[in-house]
Amino acid sequence: MPEMGAGKVERFALVDVNSFYVSCERAFDPSLELKPVVVLSNNDGCVVARSNEAKALGIENGDPWFKLAADAKRTGLIQRSSNYELYGDLSSRVMELLGRYSFSQEVYSIDESWLVLRGTPEELVRTGAEIKAAVALHTGLPVCVGIAPTKTLAKFVNRVAKQNPALRGVCSWDTLPSAHAEAIMSRVPVTGIWGIAGRLGKKLNALGIFTIADLKAADPVVMRKKFSVLMQRTIMELNGIPCIPLETEVATKRQLIFSRSFSTPVTTAARMHEVMAIYAQQAAIRLAKDSQQARLITCFAGTSHFNDRAASFPSVAVKLPAPTADPVLLTKAATRAWRAGLWMASRTPAPVSC
Amino acid sequence: MGVMVVSALDLDGLNLQGPLCSPVAVPAGFPSPAQDYFTGRIDLNKHLIRDITCTFLVRVSGHSMDGAGIADGDELVVDRSLTPADGNVVVAIIDGELTVKRLRLEHGRVRLAAENPEYPDVVICELSELSIWGVVTRCLHHV
Repeated sequence: MPEMGAGKVERFALVDVNSFYVSCERAFDPSLELKPVVVLSNNDGCVVARSNEAKALGIENGDPWFKLAADAKRTGLIQRSSNYELYGDLSSRVMELLGRYSFSQEVYSIDESWLVLRGTPEELVRTGAEIKAAVALHTGLPVCVGIAPTKTLAKFVNRVAKQNPALRGVCSWDTLPSAHAEAIMSRVPVTGIWGIAGRLGKKLNALGIFTIADLKAADPVVMRKKFSVLMQRTIMELNGIPCIPLETEVATKRQLIFSRSFSTPVTTAARMHEVMAIYAQQAAIRLAKDSQQARLITCFAGTSHFNDRAASFPSVAVKLPAPTADPVLLTKAATRAWRAGLWMASRTPAPVSC
Repeated sequence: MGVMVVSALDLDGLNLQGPLCSPVAVPAGFPSPAQDYFTGRIDLNKHLIRDITCTFLVRVSGHSMDGAGIADGDELVVDRSLTPADGNVVVAIIDGELTVKRLRLEHGRVRLAAENPEYPDVVICELSELSIWGVVTRCLHHV
């Protein structure tokens, strides 16, 4: 990234929320602070998020709750059902707030965003601290900020910020003493870097590349021939040469889901018909808002997760004759699919998904 | 008075349309000449929310704030980014619970005052022990 005179630089910042789902639950239920908390998947089956305290108990993502439940009393482990509406709402607040700090923003995931910041390295550290304080004040969520000349290094220093409480959640490549950075890089396995997954890590290990420092020292051209241009980019980015630009275009969504739980169970076909019609129209509104069209429509329903007797989760998919966002056509397709699905469900035991 | 966060405020559904009077205080005597020029529709989002990123809607339960016009079941608009001041109605964190009270700062002492004689105030000795979740800016009272 360009040097801008008067000691000013342009840098990537990666801001992400610590243990996002758990932090969202804590924002509205302060009694969860400092306790081991896990958030469970849709049907309360397995762990999808853990607080640091839960991680310290050795709990992994994907652990089934029934195995943890027996021990929960003793360990003080608390579980929460996932509430994606809440997480989505808090996410949009955080993203909007972050956008105020930069002329250029890329929302990378539900709890991560890239920003481009300009200033002296010292100013940028202060901006990072300001961002962290603002998100905490506005939403109650804790974030970490990593600031560096490349996206790969920003990811790396963000991780350093997370693991070193002394940094108070903000780490900048420019102000991190280089001896310190080198020490961490030669300690952290190569899979700790952005873009190097487990399988790729094994291949690198076979070449004698075990740590981030090993990869940083590798020849980018040779590695491009052995792997791909992506590997070359990662190595160059580790050496401070930006290769991965900000993607500010909003990625088009591949699928759109509109689903809700009912306060009272729906027990009649007529009521379910109404519900399906309303949901199809809501989905059509969202499609139109994003200027998109649907090719396939899937209708699904389920009995309450608190009702273990007669559990049923019928689902049916229909291909639309042509891609459309027309609420009338979508409503017709949804209600027709639903009737067909209901009929099937009444004929055969419905498959239970988990 | 306990609270439950109802939603992370989505007041889209509250967009009122049509001919409504302007949301200005109506003086008893001489009407404002500006009223004649008001043609817009009321957007409750704009009216109730200063900054959407830090505004939350909570529903209260209990009667400890009856005297402040906050009844059981009412919803409160809460701004988390405001600095709480003496006299503000606040959502405070007491023993891990969110609670609505009026904040009183007196002689270096903090009191979270109930507005119902049947409920006790909560006195906090050290200012540093006070944890405010947000400042209440509006009460959506059910009539």
